[in-house]
Amino acid sequence: MLAKDMFELRGRLENEGIIFCYSGYVTEEILTGIGNSIRKKLELDNTDRNIGRRLFSIFVEQMQNVIRYSAEGLNTDDDQKDELRFGLLLVGADNDDFYVSCANKIRKHDVVRLTEQLEHIKGLDREDLMKLYKMTLKGETPVGSKGAGVGFIDIARQAKRGFDFHFMDLDDTHSFFCLKAHV
Amino acid sequence: MENINIEATERSPEIHFDFGSNTFALKGESYPEDVSTFFGPVIGALEEHLSGLNGASVTFTFDLIYFNSSTAKVLMGLFDTLDEAAENGNDVSIIWSYEEDDDNMEELGEEFGEDLEHAKFEMKAYAKK
Repeated sequence: MLAKDMFELRGRLENEGIIFCYSGYVTEEILTGIGNSIRKKLELDNTDRNIGRRLFSIFVEQMQNVIRYSAEGLNTDDDQKDELRFGLLLVGADNDDFYVSCANKIRKHDVVRLTEQLEHIKGLDREDLMKLYKMTLKGETPVGSKGAGVGFIDIARQAKRGFDFHFMDLDDTHSFFCLKAHV
Repeated sequence: MENINIEATERSPEIHFDFGSNTFALKGESYPEDVSTFFGPVIGALEEHLSGLNGASVTFTFDLIYFNSSTAKVLMGLFDTLDEAAENGNDVSIIWSYEEDDDNMEELGEEFGEDLEHAKFEMKAYAKK
């Protein structure tokens, strides 16, 4: 039955147009490895090179968000070097339209702030997105941010067909956060 | 100052900083795990060197295939540093090299270059390798 179960799971993923699926602890090595396979796959398929570049950019920003901010993991309490963060990644295509979806647990108290940020960038046109991107690159790094704080803006910039996001309450302290970027 | 030559890795660019001839270059991919650890020391050395220059001719070439948003922040800072060196009496040229069909690199080059007030800026498209 094992093969049958796995084959069914594979079939379900295939039906959804999913090319890559990863669920588990995400490390920088996994980011590099999956990233290389994605690039290879797109190259072998002769995917439009600008679409491939945008997809790769979105993938990197999404994965680095999980590595830095997922609220589910091992040793994540006091910013230790050997921490591991849990996340879920899908790369798929609706016909020829690629998307990158990423999901992870976050702290519930971050939902309001994230919603405000994401709604704000969702409403911007390309010119204003670029303005915000540059402003953020020049500005101070937000408190509690380990990156440039521009990851979401970059995703919005690269997702030419827009992005969707959702939150789902899990318990008193955690929510499940999902972001789907349409390349 | 001793020259800096760092080989590229899968995720970090080749760095060539020649302090004698004032030619500097970043080439390749940039999405390191920790941008501060990777770029901090080399950019620190560059800033120190530039702050002591006057009347020098400086060339910085950016020849990047891909960089993430954390790297973009570092690059923005570098542009500022180079523009400042130009303001302080040096002849500074920045070259932005990109693959001709790369819309994103072209757009970012234009946007980064637009904010320069003193340094010279040149976009160089090259044919697909």
